[in-house]
Amino acid sequence: MEQSKKKRKNKILSSYLWSMPSLVLICLIVIFPIFYTGYISLTNMNVYHWFDYDLIGFSNYKEALLVFDSGFIPALLLTILWTVVNMVLQLVIAYLLASLLNTKGLKGRNFYRTLLIFPWAMPGYVSILLWKTGMFNSQFGLLNQWLEKLGLAPVKWLASDGLAFACCTVVNLWLALPFMITIIDGALQSVDQSFYESALLDGAGWMERTVYITIPSIRPIIAPSVVITIFTTFKQFDVIYLLTQQAGAKTGAHIHTILTYAYENAFITNNYGYSSAVSMVIFVILILFSYVINIKPKEEA
Amino acid sequence: MKKIIASFLSIAMLMGLLCGCGAGGQGLTEEEKNTIVIWHDKEEAVAEALLAQLQESVPDVDVQLEHKSNLTEALKMVGNDPKAAPDMYFFAHDKIGVYAEMGILTPITELIPKEELENAYVGMTLDAATYKGEIYQLPIYFETLLFMYNRLYMPDERVPATTEELYAYMSEKTRGGHYGFVEQHSTAYYSAGWIHGFGGYIMNGEGEVGLENPETIAALTYHKKFVELMPGESEYATVNTLFQEGKAHATIGGPWMVSASRTAGMDLGIAPMPVIDETGLPISPYMGVQGVQVLKYAAENKREAVVKVLSGLMQPEVGIALAKVSGCAPAVEACYEREEVTSDDVVMAMRQTAENTIPMPNCPEMDIMWTVAADMLVNINMSGQDVKASCEAAQQSAEDLIRKMQ
Repeated sequence: MEQSKKKRKNKILSSYLWSMPSLVLICLIVIFPIFYTGYISLTNMNVYHWFDYDLIGFSNYKEALLVFDSGFIPALLLTILWTVVNMVLQLVIAYLLASLLNTKGLKGRNFYRTLLIFPWAMPGYVSILLWKTGMFNSQFGLLNQWLEKLGLAPVKWLASDGLAFACCTVVNLWLALPFMITIIDGALQSVDQSFYESALLDGAGWMERTVYITIPSIRPIIAPSVVITIFTTFKQFDVIYLLTQQAGAKTGAHIHTILTYAYENAFITNNYGYSSAVSMVIFVILILFSYVINIKPKEEA
Repeated sequence: MKKIIASFLSIAMLMGLLCGCGAGGQGLTEEEKNTIVIWHDKEEAVAEALLAQLQESVPDVDVQLEHKSNLTEALKMVGNDPKAAPDMYFFAHDKIGVYAEMGILTPITELIPKEELENAYVGMTLDAATYKGEIYQLPIYFETLLFMYNRLYMPDERVPATTEELYAYMSEKTRGGHYGFVEQHSTAYYSAGWIHGFGGYIMNGEGEVGLENPETIAALTYHKKFVELMPGESEYATVNTLFQEGKAHATIGGPWMVSASRTAGMDLGIAPMPVIDETGLPISPYMGVQGVQVLKYAAENKREAVVKVLSGLMQPEVGIALAKVSGCAPAVEACYEREEVTSDDVVMAMRQTAENTIPMPNCPEMDIMWTVAADMLVNINMSGQDVKASCEAAQQSAEDLIRKMQ
C-alpha cells in the first residue's frame, strides 16, 4: 500500500519533470507577457515616462473603460458576427472539400491536397496584400477586369461596409481553410470503413451516413481545432486591418472588430500603460468568451 | 538512470537557451568603440551611396548600415538597450519628438558646435530638426512633393498654373480609364498641401490641432471636386502605377517617382505647384528632412567615432552623392555652389518647391494626427460624409487621443 502510494507520487513528479521544459516555455511565452501587461497597465508608461514610469494604480482602467463607449458595442457585435459567419462557412466548405478528397477512386489526390494546402505556405501578410491589389483593386484588380470584359461597371470592392465584410471573409477563408481541410481530412480517414459497409447493407443513403456516422465520429477529433480556430477568428486583426484600414491605404469601409477598434482608439497613442489596460479588458472578454464556448462540449459529452 | 540524465540534459538545454538573455558586460573594446551601426529604411541605392561616401571620408571607423523596414517601432522597443539598439539611425525628422521625449536621443550640438551647424546648413533644415530648442538631427537631404507630368499627354503649355486650370484639364481628360491628375487624396501627407494652401493646418508648430479650423474645412470642401475626378482607390501602389503606365497625365508625388519614371522611359516634366485661385497661395506640401540621429548610449560611450562619422556626413560630397541617387535636395548649403547640383533640374525644383513648404511637425502628438486625419479624409472623400461634421468629429477624437498620451 505504502509502496504503491510512493510509486504514484513518483509518477506524478516525473510527469511534471518531463513536461517541465515546455511548461517553463509556456510560462515565459504566454503567462509572463500577460502578467507583465497587467503590471504595465498599472503604470504611467508612455512617451513622456518611457524609462522612469511609476505605479499609478487603476486610473488607466478608468480611461480604458471609456474606450468601450458607443463605438465599442457595434464593434463587439460585428466581431461575433464575423466569427459566426467565418466558422460556419469554414466548417461547411472544409467538410465538403475534405469529403471530395476522400472520394473513392480519386486520381491525383496528393496533388489536390498540396494545392489546397498552398495558401498556408505563404505568409499571411503577403497573401492579404496580394488579394487586395491583385483581386479587389478597382483599377487593376482581376475581378474588375472580368467585369469589364463582361461589359459591366467596375465595383469598388472594399469601399462599402457590406461588400468589404464579404471580401474580408473570402480572404480569411482562403487563409484558414487549409488548416480545417487538413484536420477534417485526417479525421475522415480515421473513421472505420466497416461502419459504412454495414450502413450500406442496411440501405442508408449519403445523407444518413453523413449525419449518423461521419459527423459523430469526427466530432471529437476536430473539436479542439474548431475551438482554436474560433479564437483566431475572434481576434483576427490583420485581414481586416490590411484590407481596409492600413495606414495610407484606407478604403472607406468602416468595419471594426474589437481589436481594430482598440488599435485606432488606444494603441496609436504610444501610451503603453493605457494600451495595456485596454488589452487586459479585451483579455478578460476573451476569457469569458472561451468559458461560454467551453461549457457546451462538456454538456454534450 | 537514463531518465534522470535525459531530464537533466533537457533542463541544461533550456538553461542554455535562456542564458542568451543575460546581461552583457560593461566597458567596450577598442574595436567595439570604433564600430558604428546605423539603422535606416532607405532604398539600396541610397544606402550604398552613403556607405561608399563614409568609407571614403572616415576610413578608420567601421560603419555598418542595417536596413530596418519597421525602424520606428523597433527603436521604441530597444532604444535604451545598448546591445540591441543602433548607434545612430537615418530617418525623417518628424519622429525626433517621440524619441527625444523617450530620452534616447542626444542633441547633435553636444557633438558638433552649434555655430558650425548654423554655418553649414540650409536654415529650414535645422528648424525642422529642432525640438524644444535642441537640434536632434544632422540633416542630410530634404524632400517634398513635386508636381509631375507626362509630356506625352500633357504638353508644357497645358501645365496648369492654377488649381482651376488643373480642374478644367481634369474634367476634359478624365475618361475611358484615363485620368487628368491623380494623387493620394485621402492621406494626410498629401492633402496637407491643399490645407496649407488655404492657410489651414493639421497640427501647427505649437502642437495645436487645426482640423476644424474654417481654413481646413474650406480646403477640404474645395478639394472634394478634384477627388471626384480621381480613382476611388488612393493608396501608393495604385496612384504610382497609374502614372507610370501613362494612365494618369499628372500627379503630385515624391522624388522617388522620378527615377522610376525615367527608367520606364517617360518624358517627365516637373512644374511648380498650382496656385489656389481663391487664396493666391500655391499647394504647399509638407517638407521632410532626412538625416542622422545619435542615440544617447553611443554618444556617451563611442563619442570619438560618432563625431568622426558626423563630420564625415557634413562633407558636401555626401549631400551631392545622396541627392543624385534619391532625387532630393542636399541640406548642406555649400552643395549649391557645385555645378553638378545646380544643373540637376530635379534637385533644383525640389529646392524651389521647398521654399513654399512647411516642415512636418516633429512633436510626439503628430503620430496620432496621421491616423486621425487619414480617417477624416476617408470619411469626407470616400464615404461621402459631411465635411464640417467629419472635421469636428476628427478634432474631438484627436484632442481625446492626445490627452490619453499623457
